[in-house]
Amino acid sequence: MKKLLTVLSFGFFFLSCEKDDLCDANTPTTPKLVLEFFDASTNVAKNVSNLKVIADGSPEGIIFTTATDATKYLANGVSTIKIPLKTSSDLTKYRMIMNFGRTTAPLSNEDIIEFKYVRNELYLSRACGYKTLFELTSLPIRTDAVTPDGLWIQNITVSQPKIDTENETHIKIYFN
Amino acid sequence: MKPILKYTLTNLFIVLISLSAHSQDKKKDSLSPRGDQYGLRVGSDIYKLTKSFYEKDYQGLELVADYRLTKNYFLAAEIGNENKTTDDDRFNFTAKGTYLKVGFDYNSYENWLDMRNLLHLGLRYSASTFSQKINNYKLYNTSTYFQEANPIISGQKFDGLSAQWLEIVGGVKAEVLHNIFLGFSVRINYLISNAKPDNFDNLYIPGFDRTYDGKFGASFNYTISYFLPIYKKKRIANGQEIKK
Repeated sequence: MKKLLTVLSFGFFFLSCEKDDLCDANTPTTPKLVLEFFDASTNVAKNVSNLKVIADGSPEGIIFTTATDATKYLANGVSTIKIPLKTSSDLTKYRMIMNFGRTTAPLSNEDIIEFKYVRNELYLSRACGYKTLFELTSLPIRTDAVTPDGLWIQNITVSQPKIDTENETHIKIYFN
Repeated sequence: MKPILKYTLTNLFIVLISLSAHSQDKKKDSLSPRGDQYGLRVGSDIYKLTKSFYEKDYQGLELVADYRLTKNYFLAAEIGNENKTTDDDRFNFTAKGTYLKVGFDYNSYENWLDMRNLLHLGLRYSASTFSQKINNYKLYNTSTYFQEANPIISGQKFDGLSAQWLEIVGGVKAEVLHNIFLGFSVRINYLISNAKPDNFDNLYIPGFDRTYDGKFGASFNYTISYFLPIYKKKRIANGQEIKK
């Protein structure tokens, strides 16, 4: 009888273990695209100032900081940013606005970058479901804003077309 | 999982009550050698059967049988079929397949002379062949910048999957009417092989129930069965048994 009770209680112990119902925050899921900025003349990493990044068609920019006011949409004093790619389409277009809101030199300047890629869905676990991995199929296309104000981005190169993790730079952007 | 736990505990309670009640009213009839009867007990899992009626996403049937080998050892087997659609947070999928469990039960219950109740502990080797179909799934994205995509309709099917596992079984069987037994068992399952589909997982294995991160799992059944007496063994003075 005692043996049986032990076995039964073990059974209930295992029944009550449901750790796998929540996706662990440390699980690498759908990666973001990692952009790194460089000085076009010296080729060393260069910090951006008040860079606002808005997906084409989105009302608001990507949040870069934990600030509570509008400055949370601005990347400032960093040379690397991470931006998401659409998992429902093979194309994501971003408006990149340097020196956002400035009316005196250096003036606000907007360029548009278009990323084209293929998607691959990979099974993770019961709790996390699937994640999407991307692979860039062409060099990102850089165009001027709808209201032309010249290009602030001098050059774009792809250093890693396979977007599998956020631990490496995928795109290098050169500017002055 | 909580309702199942409640359910199993209630079941266990009912069976134990009937087991003890039964022992009361049969004491007087002590000359009949019913306890020495050997035979085949066949039945069905009534939990799976009833669940098939009230849950539209589930269809299952399990037939159970055991054959008494010696005074306390029983050869035992279960065969079943399940078709279950699980609606999880990230997936909606259907697992469908057939399973067989073979092993033995050891009865540790000391019956009064004419009784045939069981409090058993046993082991099963189990195997299942099944298919899985992903009905829809979601992509996990920590970025909420783009509106979360709707679940993606898939319909992708994986055939020819299989798994094998061992079960430690603990349970009770009480004779509630002449030759009719009501039983309940809990099983701790340990996977020994699991052929997973490419880019998906066996989240539910027919017969095993849902899988967890590790190799362990748990299941239970609630049976009604009929004992078919085949022969009797008569006890002789030195305690050994002979066929009659």
